[in-house]
Amino acid sequence: MSDKLKQVIEKQAAQQDEELNDHSDDIVQLVGFIIGEEEYAVPILSIQEIIKPFTWTRVPQVPAYVKGVFNMRGSVIPLIDLRLKFGLREQKHDENTRFIVMKNGDDIAGFIIDRLTMAIRIKRENIGPAPDTLIGDDTMIEGVGKQEDRIITILKVNKLLERDF
Amino acid sequence: MDEFEEILQDFLVESFELVEKLDEDLVELESNPEDLELLNGIFRVAHTIKGASSFLNMDVLTHLTHHMENILNKARHGELVITPEIMDVILESIDLMKELLETIRDTSSDAGIDVSGCVARLDAIDNGGSGTEVETPAVKEPEPEPEPVKEEPKEETESSSESDDEPDYENMSDDEVEKEIAKLLAQRQAEDKAKREARIAAGEDVPAPPPSPDEAPKAEPKKESTPAPVAKTTPTPKKATASAKSAGGAKAAAPAKKQVAPEQTIRVDVKRLDHLMNLIGELVLAKNRLIKINDDMEDRYEGEEFLEELNQVVSIVSLVTTDLQIAVMKTRMLPVGKVFNKFPRMIRDLSRELNKKIDLQISGEETELDKSIVEEIGDPLVHIIRNSCDHGIEVPDVRIAAGKPEMGTISLKAYNEGNQIVIQIDDDGKGLDANMLKDRCIEKGLITEKEADTMSDKDAFALIFKPGFSTAAAVTNVSGRGVGMDVVKTNIEKLNGIIDIESEVGVGTTIKLKIPLTLAIIQALLVGVQEETYAIPLASVMETVRISIDEIYTVEGKNVMRLRDDVLSLVHIGDIFEVERIMEGGEYVYVVVLGVGAQKLGLLVDTLVGQEEIVIKSLGEYLKGIEGIAGATIRGDGGVTLIVDVVALMEMARKVKATSMISENSDSLGAKKEKNSPSDYTIMIVDDSKTDRMIMTKALSELGVSLVEAVDGQDALTKLKDGTHNFDAMLIDIEMPRMDGYTLASEIKKYNKYKNLPLIAVTSRTGKSDRMRGVESGMVEYITKPYSADYLSSVVSRNINFKF
Repeated sequence: MSDKLKQVIEKQAAQQDEELNDHSDDIVQLVGFIIGEEEYAVPILSIQEIIKPFTWTRVPQVPAYVKGVFNMRGSVIPLIDLRLKFGLREQKHDENTRFIVMKNGDDIAGFIIDRLTMAIRIKRENIGPAPDTLIGDDTMIEGVGKQEDRIITILKVNKLLERDF
Repeated sequence: MDEFEEILQDFLVESFELVEKLDEDLVELESNPEDLELLNGIFRVAHTIKGASSFLNMDVLTHLTHHMENILNKARHGELVITPEIMDVILESIDLMKELLETIRDTSSDAGIDVSGCVARLDAIDNGGSGTEVETPAVKEPEPEPEPVKEEPKEETESSSESDDEPDYENMSDDEVEKEIAKLLAQRQAEDKAKREARIAAGEDVPAPPPSPDEAPKAEPKKESTPAPVAKTTPTPKKATASAKSAGGAKAAAPAKKQVAPEQTIRVDVKRLDHLMNLIGELVLAKNRLIKINDDMEDRYEGEEFLEELNQVVSIVSLVTTDLQIAVMKTRMLPVGKVFNKFPRMIRDLSRELNKKIDLQISGEETELDKSIVEEIGDPLVHIIRNSCDHGIEVPDVRIAAGKPEMGTISLKAYNEGNQIVIQIDDDGKGLDANMLKDRCIEKGLITEKEADTMSDKDAFALIFKPGFSTAAAVTNVSGRGVGMDVVKTNIEKLNGIIDIESEVGVGTTIKLKIPLTLAIIQALLVGVQEETYAIPLASVMETVRISIDEIYTVEGKNVMRLRDDVLSLVHIGDIFEVERIMEGGEYVYVVVLGVGAQKLGLLVDTLVGQEEIVIKSLGEYLKGIEGIAGATIRGDGGVTLIVDVVALMEMARKVKATSMISENSDSLGAKKEKNSPSDYTIMIVDDSKTDRMIMTKALSELGVSLVEAVDGQDALTKLKDGTHNFDAMLIDIEMPRMDGYTLASEIKKYNKYKNLPLIAVTSRTGKSDRMRGVESGMVEYITKPYSADYLSSVVSRNINFKF
């Protein structure tokens, strides 16, 4: 009788798979933001939320770009300053400064950015690969999106959330 | 999870529990071979597993348990006396059973483990013991099973009539009985969640191919690799009833009782409990916050009526939260006996192996601990007990020569002590010899001779936890590799536990493991260093003392102090966590005396904030494993506070170069810039009125100091904190939007580094109570409007020690 059970279960599993593979999408939705002079973007679905800056707690023994941890509704979330991470000088927070909380699986962190630009819908075909010099396993760049007169660097969220110290 | 999996999971959970019990009972049986009740119990357990495994097509397991059952059955009928040799084989087969169950858990099938050797040994015993029987190939036929069925049919009805709704078996045909039996088995199988599915499944299959009774029993002993599932299920139920019924004579009520008991408990997925625990954690945080707000309200609206009501609500919420927290914690509690009950077997095996006589006495096994902790303490206890057997208890000859009883005693106790649980392992063996331990360590290069000289006995006992340490001259099967006790230390410390050893040469050793009741919510001491706050688990805090800086001595580059008769090494928390020194230390500092095991360390902190119940949160994947930080917690004000990992901190303290307290002070003084010209002085003017700011600016312009303006309290606080300017004084208006002057002053005074910053109130409020409030909130001067320019500038220059 266990065989019978197994059969039924396998059948159900097969059905579920079919449903999942049903749709695909050519439009990529991104959220753009500025760090220093450049515009960057990450997929909208990887963003948990965008919040105004507030206090955080310093954590010892981490690189300077890890500012510390902050409390987001009861969760303790690391805070990373993307200016510092990208080799720029630290800047005082102003009214445009935001924390973008990004999520990839169980990994989650908040990133300090200079200001938000906009939500971007871009066709997949308009996204080119990262420049040759930047291609490699280590690159944080997913690709380069071209839209009208702008060039947007699309970042790999999983790389951003990867601990590299 | 699919249905088959679910049934399998239930089977595994049940079987592991049963096997665990089997182990225990068998050891007891060995010392008590006449205990028929015990024997019956054991038989029933073996039988249940066999029945269930055959139902799930676990052929190897069924095969093994079947042969084991044969022997037990004979013993039960008095045809066999269980000798230690027979017991060895039975225990061996139980080990195999465990192995099989583990394989099933991992791979969902029981293939790949060879049981034939063990089965052969079981058969040999079976044959040897069955001398009275005429037919020699006793195993080849399922003799013991069918026979009882015919012998005692009356008892069957007796016992079964006690259960809920049993039909009348006597009036049934063979086939009907078969069906009924199969159904019973299915019920037992699915006692838990999968009840319904299993029952339907059984109902479907059984009537379909009704096997002839002769065919079925044959299939089993011949070890046919995969007989049809039904052929397997049919012979076993027979035994299921056989066991129930034959046990019936002795205590017919037992099976019936067993069926009622499970209704008192529910098996709950641990994940759900964890989730519940997390939610409670959130609630505790919210409660802390509520209490803080309540306190603030009390300060602000003293005497208002609604406060009373708020107070009541807050106390009820906090009371209920605490109760809820305890209740949920309790659901996660398991009796420590879960771990203890594997030790009788272990001691038995060890004493046979080592040729020693050891008696294990267990008490307090009903003491409860958090599930996660129960899982963690198993290994350490195994190592400690092995150690006691191998190194502690002497061989009988030596014991007799020393005037001790031949039989050595190890006692394992668990009991509650405050917020901790203590697990105590005593042996009456040869004890630890401090000098011998030191010599050994010096030999192995683990400590220097100098260290050994200054070591107390307690410190010397703690040496046994050093990795690489072993007193055994040779590595034996049991111990001597020098890793075991290190494991003990690591595991216990991971649980925030403390190990305490007492020993007397020739008398025995006592090891106490002190473990917190739960891991998720702990009591912590909050300490402040500069502007930061850290939480230290209270379990590791032995005491706190306030000392003058003069009491700190520097020995070999380390700060130390004298604490009663001991010398305590000191380390500043700021040196460990790289805290920037903005504020000079006062004349006095606080020392938090930390203790882990026998190690002590004095942690210097700037302030003691207080004791609080905190919820441990992980720092997440990105920041995990930061040395010295065990996690974080969220405080009543919504801020995050880091929790100190005391064990790691002690390790780090060794590497940190001591900074002398005195030089630190002069350093931070030097950090304050020399004032070379009037413009090196910076003063902030905080006033919401532009005119007032203008007047003040004019009044101070003669001094030539730099001025910064802020339009309200919030603005002032931001400008002060962003660190662009080092302010020497602040002129503060009282009536301001967003944040008034009093609040601003008390906010500023919360920061250590601004403790000495002169705050001067400039206001038109002239009342006495206003002035009092000004003083309370930390203002040093109180200037009432209107004022003369000269007066203002003289007050300011006096307060900033103006030199020009």
